[in-house]
Amino acid sequence: MNASLTFMSMLPEHLLLLGIVLLLAMEIVGKGARAALLVAVVAVAAAASAAFWLCMTDFSGIPFPGQFSVNHSSLVAKLIVLLLAIPVLLMSRYEFEGGEFPALLLSSLYGVCLLISSDSFLTMFLGLELMSLPVYAMVLLAYRRVESAEAALKYLVLGGAASAMFLMGVSLLYGMTGSTGISAFATGLLATDILSRAAVALILLAFFLKGAVVPFHAWAPDAYEGASVPVTAFMATIVKAGVMFAVVRLFADVPLMSPVVELVAIFPLISIVWGNIAAMKQPSLRRMIAYSSIAHAGYMFYALLGAGEGQMQAVTFYLLTYGVLNVLAFAALPPDANDAERDRLDTLRGLWHRNPFAAIMIGIAMLSLSGLPPFPGFVAKFLIFKNVLAAGYTTYAVIGLIGSYIGIYFYLRVIQVMFMTPGVVSEQVVHSLPTVPRPFGRTTVAGLGAFARAAVVICLLLTAYLMVLPGRVLAGL
Amino acid sequence: MADTLSTVLNVVLFLPLLGMGLLVLIPSDKPQITRRFTLLMLLVQLALTAWLYRQFSNNTAALQFETRIPWIGQWGVFYHIGLDGFNVLLVLLTAFLAPLVVAGSFNAIQKDVKLFYAMVFLIQFAMMGTFVAQDLFLFYVFWEAMLIPMFLMIGIWGGERRIYATIKFVLYTAFGSILMLAAMIYLVYSLQGSAGITSFAFSDLYKAGLPLHAQELLLGAFALSFAIKVPVFPFHTWLPDAHVEAPTPGSVILAGVMLKMGTYGFMKLGFPLFPDATQLYTPLLMTLAVISVVYGACLALVQTDIKKIIAYSSISHLGYVMLGLLSLDIVGIQGAIVQMVSHGLVAAGLFLMVGMIYERCHTRELAAYGGLAKVLPVYSVFFMVLTLASVGLPTTSGFTGEFLVLLGAYRAAWAQHLAGSSYALVLASIAVTGVVLGALYMLRFALGFLWGAERVPHGPVSDLNRRERLILGILVVSIFALGLFPDSAMQKSEMAAKQYQQLVKTSRLQAARSPATDSLLQPAAASRTGALRIISRQSGRP
Repeated sequence: MNASLTFMSMLPEHLLLLGIVLLLAMEIVGKGARAALLVAVVAVAAAASAAFWLCMTDFSGIPFPGQFSVNHSSLVAKLIVLLLAIPVLLMSRYEFEGGEFPALLLSSLYGVCLLISSDSFLTMFLGLELMSLPVYAMVLLAYRRVESAEAALKYLVLGGAASAMFLMGVSLLYGMTGSTGISAFATGLLATDILSRAAVALILLAFFLKGAVVPFHAWAPDAYEGASVPVTAFMATIVKAGVMFAVVRLFADVPLMSPVVELVAIFPLISIVWGNIAAMKQPSLRRMIAYSSIAHAGYMFYALLGAGEGQMQAVTFYLLTYGVLNVLAFAALPPDANDAERDRLDTLRGLWHRNPFAAIMIGIAMLSLSGLPPFPGFVAKFLIFKNVLAAGYTTYAVIGLIGSYIGIYFYLRVIQVMFMTPGVVSEQVVHSLPTVPRPFGRTTVAGLGAFARAAVVICLLLTAYLMVLPGRVLAGL
Repeated sequence: MADTLSTVLNVVLFLPLLGMGLLVLIPSDKPQITRRFTLLMLLVQLALTAWLYRQFSNNTAALQFETRIPWIGQWGVFYHIGLDGFNVLLVLLTAFLAPLVVAGSFNAIQKDVKLFYAMVFLIQFAMMGTFVAQDLFLFYVFWEAMLIPMFLMIGIWGGERRIYATIKFVLYTAFGSILMLAAMIYLVYSLQGSAGITSFAFSDLYKAGLPLHAQELLLGAFALSFAIKVPVFPFHTWLPDAHVEAPTPGSVILAGVMLKMGTYGFMKLGFPLFPDATQLYTPLLMTLAVISVVYGACLALVQTDIKKIIAYSSISHLGYVMLGLLSLDIVGIQGAIVQMVSHGLVAAGLFLMVGMIYERCHTRELAAYGGLAKVLPVYSVFFMVLTLASVGLPTTSGFTGEFLVLLGAYRAAWAQHLAGSSYALVLASIAVTGVVLGALYMLRFALGFLWGAERVPHGPVSDLNRRERLILGILVVSIFALGLFPDSAMQKSEMAAKQYQQLVKTSRLQAARSPATDSLLQPAAASRTGALRIISRQSGRP
């Protein structure tokens, strides 16, 4: 493989790296705090365009044999995470100033891209760590709140535990097969000896932890709540996407056998049911989304039960719709001086009367996440359960669907709070302008700033496209 | 011509969506313009639907005015709509009631007017779509899409316990739907296994041959979903709550059209898709239908809330529809179809009248009223006419529907009795008591309401104004028209009734493709290759 092809196949990563270097340089020079966001958005948009272009030209290549490869499905996955990063960056404008957040976000994105393309456990570990480390710091960026330190610490410790389990599993696999390539995992899946099984279980548990699957989910609600809104959006969508893409990569083209089938069906099943039940009583949107994302992780692990070629398509489509809708919900949250109060359901009470646009957007996101047609969340869920049923797991599919039914209630509760309770227009609820100094412009009371609106519009257009022409999107995956 | 007409059907379907889009342009502080604009859009929709209805040919069981475009190609999902004898009357009913609902809500809705009419448009779109859809996936999407605007309509503009009622409504209906979803996927995969095609088209699914135990489970899932919507005893408890808490237009839409989706679902999908299971479970289903008739009527007899009386009477009247469909007698099926339309008109009229009195007197307690005949003579005349139509007095549409259903049920039951099984005869006989009970509760209602000592809460009140008289006048005329001249309506649905009868009677247990169903579905296939719009029919079937 010649140098230019090697360069081309990592073009999105190179563009991200360029952005990171620029951001760091600007920090060192101490200038351009105003331009940091712009640089980051341009870098991510350029990387996304590069991924899109490579995707359209059906590019595939192996720049580092056995470590890193690029093909159609990995390019689509990169395109999705890069696209989702743009609205997340835009909405961060009201939370963070300066270059720390964009630089951390881009680094984490680089890690996600590595993870998506990894061919060996080494690259995968590199990707996982590069993805996670900046996120620990990003959670801590909301340090004005006490909860954020606790959240970051919990996330760090449990993330570390996951990495340790992953490494332990990989070394066992290496001991058994003498290879660190991800195909060793397939060998391990088919083997019946105790060590191979232990290796597979350890790796799978690491991903359960990272993906917040019950009973390894306890960190998620605290971490999501302790972080500020854009960071939560990032964790709930892009980090989760990275983890899921890695899992699908491991399971691609491997026929599932008995103990593993139960492992990837029962824990996700409990996740679906428990996530949806626990979400009912949560007082804030972030905690609710955390539990809902626990349930959604369950659906995505369910997709592994489906037949080989359908897995990637189902998970990709699911992550796209789920990501777009989560970002939409977070971007449409009206700003508030007090970050902790911003997304409490009490604050959202009667939002329709104060800010109809935001209320309708959050409403669309909630209904779609609940999987009610005609919103795109339905098509995504349909695709997963279709594959599970087609693979013959009728009982799991039916119980999973009933679990997803439980979830409808708490999504409707958000709508009920926003639309059906009278708006309390008192001084306590409509907070004054944010007290944190804002670098540019200002936002109106209970209104959305221009950047947040741009983020909302991007997500809304994607939602509409997914809703009207799901067939086109599916054909492209 | 056929092409123009299928375009018109698309316009009829999407006009409400266009209306909702245009609504955004009207300023929020101009509620009157919003109301008139909505009314105008829905009148246009009605005019176009009436034109389609006139052009609809009675002589074929095939789909007419068909559109078929691939939507999600890989799964064999098509945007496939068309009119046939099953849905043509219900489409007309949907288009007919909508302008009346809007005109009837001119005074009732004062809060968030724009959002309200946006919801009316959305519901109208979803209901139209559910009726015209000829693809199971599309049907399911429209079927569920209806929930959300109704959820908001009850929840925002409803009465005191609106939140409880609306969440109950959604959770009940969604539970049925989730099982239907699983059944739907299973059905499509069985078809793929047996016939080798991946298709959600109704006409293809009718060919799917399934083993009996699979049919039983799938019928169970579909029937649960439809039975909750109808509602059939014991799945009816959401209905009184939803009706009582819903604003008047919500109640009218709910009773007028939405409940018919359940019976339409049974007629178009539930029974014909799983004929063997249907045959097996007919005694059970018929028993539930008869319990609905009698139990609904008994409950209506003891209610003190006037909206609840009409809500329970709906359960009773729709029990007849189920009975007619299950009788598998051509007269009974025709009667069921007429009864659906008739109940749509009568229940809509009664809920509108309750809304009108509620706007004036602010209470729904039956005991609070009395002697309205003296105070509100015009109102009382209309009320009496609608009451008698609900009771089923000859010359009104209520009579035609119930009479034909009972006639059909008896004919089928007698034949079975001669063949040695008498359960149907017993059930049909019990169902007749529903007519007597119906007279009892409606006349008790009218007696307390219109006669006796004069009691008018928050009086003195004015009689009906011109707008209200016009709305009720149109409804009463249509009720008599359907009662006196049911022929034209019945001719429209005759072929469909025969097709339904044959589909349910033909066992598809053994062979995936039996000659009988194939010949039955021939006309549909023939018309498809004809002048109608077909775009790459094969593309979705790898």
